[in-house]
Order: sequence, then structure tokens, then C-alpha cells
Amino acid sequence: MLKVDINSVSVTRDEKKKTILQNINFEIEKRKVYSVLGKNGSGKSTLIKSLTALLPNNQYEIIGKVFYDGTDLLSASEEELREIRKNNIRYVFQDAANSLDPLKKIKHYFKLLNTDFSSIEKQLQFFLLPAYNKISDLYPYEISGGMSQRLLLVLALLANPDLLILDEPTSGVDYAITNLILIKMKEFVQENNKSVLVVTQDIDFAINSSDYISYLSNCTLKKFLSPDDFMKSKSDEELKKFIQSFNEISNATS
Amino acid sequence: MPLLKVQNIFYSVEVKGARKEHAGILLNVSFEVEQGEILGICGESGGGKSTLAKVIAGIIKPNSGEIIFNSINDYTKEKDRLVQILFQNHGEILNPFRKVQSIIDEVLKINGVDKKNIEMERNKILNSVGFEKELYDRRGYQLSGGEQQRAALARLLAVNPSLLILDEPFSAQDVESQIKLIRLFKQLNKEFNLTMICISHDLRILKNLSERIIILKDGEIVESGKTTEVFNKPKEAYTKFLLSAEALNLTYEELQTSSKI
Repeated sequence: MLKVDINSVSVTRDEKKKTILQNINFEIEKRKVYSVLGKNGSGKSTLIKSLTALLPNNQYEIIGKVFYDGTDLLSASEEELREIRKNNIRYVFQDAANSLDPLKKIKHYFKLLNTDFSSIEKQLQFFLLPAYNKISDLYPYEISGGMSQRLLLVLALLANPDLLILDEPTSGVDYAITNLILIKMKEFVQENNKSVLVVTQDIDFAINSSDYISYLSNCTLKKFLSPDDFMKSKSDEELKKFIQSFNEISNATS
Repeated sequence: MPLLKVQNIFYSVEVKGARKEHAGILLNVSFEVEQGEILGICGESGGGKSTLAKVIAGIIKPNSGEIIFNSINDYTKEKDRLVQILFQNHGEILNPFRKVQSIIDEVLKINGVDKKNIEMERNKILNSVGFEKELYDRRGYQLSGGEQQRAALARLLAVNPSLLILDEPFSAQDVESQIKLIRLFKQLNKEFNLTMICISHDLRILKNLSERIIILKDGEIVESGKTTEVFNKPKEAYTKFLLSAEALNLTYEELQTSSKI
């Protein structure tokens, strides 16, 4: 469905050029959930933003191709990209509250979608959000950070995209909501023939939600493996340490 | 005699909008903290964890109830300084115009440390939190998130507090940084016999850090006890729910029947 073939992503700051990503090659198939793990600052968010050319092109240079449905997104026009980002590839970013305009009521975002009222109610209810007539009249700053994150997920799902890209969906979210997101993701890919790509540092979430997991370090992306194989991987020292730390925290007995 | 006695705290607040249902409330919260222990407070978002921390530190006044600290039942200037909180947005306590070392020096000076001992004290504190010497003359915004957190922590320790409250210090950190932090807190606890309260929604972290734990739900304490006992033999349905939620294997039906919504 999506074929990524990126040679390099580099950024120029203070007249110095720095490579952030190198040799990123992978394919995303339908009905599958993919997770990319990596430490803070490893370039996970840059990776997903590169896919639909979301990085400001006066600073960032991307060399390579990303094919979606026969179109190379990296050479597509801004109009084409806007349509694709609206209908086909949707993002939910980490800083959810900042994705909403504080001057517009929440109903504004629902009006942008071509969707029927009952699907809206269904999704709001699933994510334990207030009913439409209650939430639609509020401004974004009148709901909590956790609620706006769930609201953005609802909006992304209602657009019914082929690929849903989630940036740290579980950071600052308690376990009950993490469970909800996990259940919804599985339902979304299986029942609607869609795909999900997650970047996260939450190993637990990745193992429980994904069909394939990869690790981003030293500018490159490791091969996508099944969760079981991933947890056994010994190829990379940094990755080995990352998994060890996870096991250490998980198995503590105080 | 316990260091801190929290007795029958009630607190509620009226907020406009949908936040109302999620606003911090406390209902008859009572517990004690012994000198030198690390107490964990666990619960979901909106359970009242941060509100409780602010009540203990005297930042907000409860509607009723008492906070007895070191046997003193009053909010005095001195007591404010004995309790320090490391907030989630820790970077913001570092003055962007000043170097880390001068921030710490100032706190030491205000606290009456002798002029000729300031440099030694500052180095000792920054060293104890693992803040590298090369970074001493950087400013807050020139540091990474983890370094900022360490600098902020040093700034709190410079006050020489009797109680340190940590509000979700582990969120948005990768597992390796989390392990380093757990080790650091344990070491500070031992080295200075520093009493700590750690607030987190992450049971795994508290299993690693605290000997005793309190479970808060909608502003009420539902269960408390030794961490190992609470986790291995949970008595309350809510604790059991939190534990299976952590294992990420709840069904939608189970989630719906939970307290959430």
C-alpha cells in the first residue's frame, strides 16, 4: 500500500548540514499494524513527517521516493498532498492540544468531515468522550489534554483513511485508555482493511498492538520483525540494551 | 512520630466546561509518611494525585482537614521550603537568563549557606544528581529534557527539603532513562535519608521505587499497603482492574464496566 524508499533526510541549521535519517526502506501492507520503537530524539517523528513531505522544505532535504497508490508523495504537488493527508493518510500527533485551533469550537472539526451523525456518536462513545451535543459546543481549551488526544483520534478515524499514523499515542495516557486505543487499532485494520503505523517508546504497547516492529537508531531503521522475533533480536547493541532495560523494569519485585 | 500526617482532607473545585468531571477532588484522604521512606501514589488521570501533592505542599488550601508536618500543624514560610515538588514541566523552573550553577548558588545563598562554602555545596549537589561538570555554565534551554530534569532536581535539593514530591517524573522518557532515574532517586533517598512521595500512573515504576503504595480513585484512597502485597494480592476490584489494564489485556466490556467515563 505504501512503499518507502528514502535515501536520506537531512536538516540545515546555522549553515551546518546534518543527516537525520539514512536508507529507510520498508513497505506497509493492508490489515497490518506497524510500530517503530526508538529512544528520545532518535528521529521517530522526523521519519513519519518525511513520509508525506510534512517537514518545512527550506530546512529539510529529503532524497528518495515514497509511493502511495502509484503516486510519489515526495514529488507530488502541495494540492495533491493536502488531499491525500485529508482523506488517505491521517496523522495524530503527540502534542494533541496544539493541533486544535483555540478560537474554533469543536463542532468546526466535525463539520469538515463527510460523515453521518451516528458514526460520530459511536466513536465518541467508544473513546469515553462526552456526547456530540455536549462536546461540540466547547472550545479546545475547555477539555483536558487527554480528552483532546482522544478527540483527535476520533476525528482521524472518522476520515476513514487507508493509513493512520500515530505519534506516541500512549504518552501521558493511563492504562485504561491505552487499552481502548489498542482495541480500536486492531478493529480498524481488521474490519476496514486499513493499516496503522505507530512511532513510540512504549515497548509494551508495541508488542501488544503490532504485527511488525522495528527499531530506529543511528539514523537507520532496522528490519521489521514480528513482536516475538523482535524481542529476541541481538543484532544491535543499543537495541539489546533497550530491551534489557524494559525487562528490568517489568520484572521488578521492589 | 511520622514526618507527615494527612488527616481527613476534603477538596473540591468548580470548573466550567467538560473538565468539571475530571477536576481534582479529594474525599476524606488520610495517611502518614514515615521519615526516610519512599511512598508511591498511583491512580488514573483525574484521580486527584497532583491535587493531593499540591495540598501537601501548601500550594492549595483544602476545604477541610489537616496536614501535620514534623508535628507542626500550620503553614509557615519555613514549612513551604521543607516540602519541594518536582513538577512534570520541570524545565520551567530554570530561569532562562541564568546559568545552572548561578541558579543553584542563589538558592544556597538565600538558604544561608556561608559564602566560602557555596561552591563546594553546589558541586556536591549537582554531582549527586549526576549533572555533568561541563554543563554547569549552560542555561536551561541549552539542555536536553533529561539534563533539565536533573538541574531542576538539584535546584530543589539546594533548599535541603525534608520531603520531596515527584509528580510523574517518568512520563515521556524512554525505558533506559527511567531506570537511571529510579537508581538516582533510590540513591538520594539513601544518601540524604530524604523522604519522598512519588506520583505515577505507572505501576511498574512504583514497583521498582516505593516500598509502600496508596491507590487513589476519584479522590478516595481505595487501597494501601506494602507495594509487593498490594500488587501480588490486590484486595480491591479497582486495584485488580489497574493491574490487568497494565497488562493491556482488557476487553471493551471490562473497560466499560470500570469506573472510567
